[in-house]
Amino acid sequence: MYFWKCWRDTRSFFIVFLIIAAIVMPVAAIVCVGTHLVEDFGTSAFSTTFGLILTAVALGLGAVGAIHEFADKTAHFLFTKPRSRAYFVWAGWAVGFAELAAVAAVNFLAGWATLSHYSKNPFHSALNGSMTAQNFLDDLIFCIWAYCLTYSLTVLLRNGLKGLGASMAILFGLPFFAAAVRLRWHIDLPLFPGLPLGSLPLVVSNIIWILIAMFFVLAAQLVVERAEM
Amino acid sequence: MNELAIDSKDLTKTYGSIRAVGGINLSVPRGAIYGFLGRNGAGKTTTIKMLLGLTRPTAGTAKVFGMDVSTECMAILRRTAFVSEKKTLYPSLTASELVRFSRGFYPTWSDSAVEKYARLLEIPMKQRFEKLSNGNQTKVWLLLALSQGADLLILDEPTTALDPVSVDQLLHVLAEDGLDRGCTIFFSSHQLEEVERIAEYAGVIDRGKLLLESRLDDIKSEFRLITAAGNSLPTQTSPQVLSVVTEGNFYRYVVTKDADSFASGLSQNGATITNVATLSLREIFLQLVRKEQ
Repeated sequence: MYFWKCWRDTRSFFIVFLIIAAIVMPVAAIVCVGTHLVEDFGTSAFSTTFGLILTAVALGLGAVGAIHEFADKTAHFLFTKPRSRAYFVWAGWAVGFAELAAVAAVNFLAGWATLSHYSKNPFHSALNGSMTAQNFLDDLIFCIWAYCLTYSLTVLLRNGLKGLGASMAILFGLPFFAAAVRLRWHIDLPLFPGLPLGSLPLVVSNIIWILIAMFFVLAAQLVVERAEM
Repeated sequence: MNELAIDSKDLTKTYGSIRAVGGINLSVPRGAIYGFLGRNGAGKTTTIKMLLGLTRPTAGTAKVFGMDVSTECMAILRRTAFVSEKKTLYPSLTASELVRFSRGFYPTWSDSAVEKYARLLEIPMKQRFEKLSNGNQTKVWLLLALSQGADLLILDEPTTALDPVSVDQLLHVLAEDGLDRGCTIFFSSHQLEEVERIAEYAGVIDRGKLLLESRLDDIKSEFRLITAAGNSLPTQTSPQVLSVVTEGNFYRYVVTKDADSFASGLSQNGATITNVATLSLREIFLQLVRKEQ
């Protein structure tokens, strides 16, 4: 039943972005096919559109998914139900994650189907740039990271706007922080979640990024379990 | 089998230097209706939160149906229904959707009870919670609690915002249906007439201390207002004498026990006993709280 309630809380947001993903990606594909002659512009624009839509969904779902239990002051109702607080934290997270995955799938499939139509070959992109599956995977891991961070901060701060603000500050402050560290101490920190960590293989880096994202949710769970209402 | 539904020993909760609940010993018998009385900020809600695992006790223990609130919270929550002092619920859900949401948590849930109480309390089930009046929001809370099939109902100020007709319906439901099912009802209130009407047991809490706990009949039979006429009669309070008020040669004593022996003692001091009266729960409550102040 809690899954149903989480779905009900987030479905409007989810459906709107599902529609956006289904419309914008074919449009982006059509535009990008027409501009691919300008070096790799088409490729990068297409990949960026994919990433931007998913980032907006990740940030939004992270805040919307967790806001209802705390900002609405209904925790005393929920936490007197015979389920552990961990269940509620992870159930809310799981529903948002499933929605994020669904938008990512529609986002990707809509773009891929359009590009396939133009290239007359489903396994060949009409865009000639160096876009690979890795581009999409990087975006996906960044969005999972953003989603987990926003969800956790919203749970911890008990406020959707504060959670979203703090999450955006961290995500967009990270490259500046990394640049400052490189300038001052000549140490290379990863600029964005999803990019390789030092000399580690990409698969290992991605696993580490995902584990860090899951750690945020785990930390939120531990705090909620100890919170006094 | 433990005969107490709620049993606490030196239950304490402090927030920094503030002692919200200061070592209370509650004994709520199974199947009883227990009125938990206290002023605003007396410690009623904090006590209830500790019983439900929403807040951890700083010291002491509390057991519900013999299960420790600190370690067996889930098992307690399976058998306990709760109506919060803050009657907020998910604003965009209708009462029907709240029923749908709550139903899945409890194997003992009763849909026939939902229908019965929705009709009895005249709840608009298709309206969003945020659009309901305060009274109807309270009724939705009560509907969810009553339909749960719980062994223990914990109600924190359940009649807040209810009109007199709804209060009457609610008290009737609690007294009749609750007891028919053998359900224990623990409700906090400062509406003393409501407690007096349906409770068998009462506890009075003030400033985190339990001032009194007993059967309501025993409380009423023990407290007496003795009016005596005389000169230089004693004016000190004691554990037996809660208060003394003098008006000229008249002395009014509120006595907690052995009123007859106290009155005969006054007579031996030359006093004339003009009246010995019982006290209402409201008067007893006020006397206890004033003495504590």
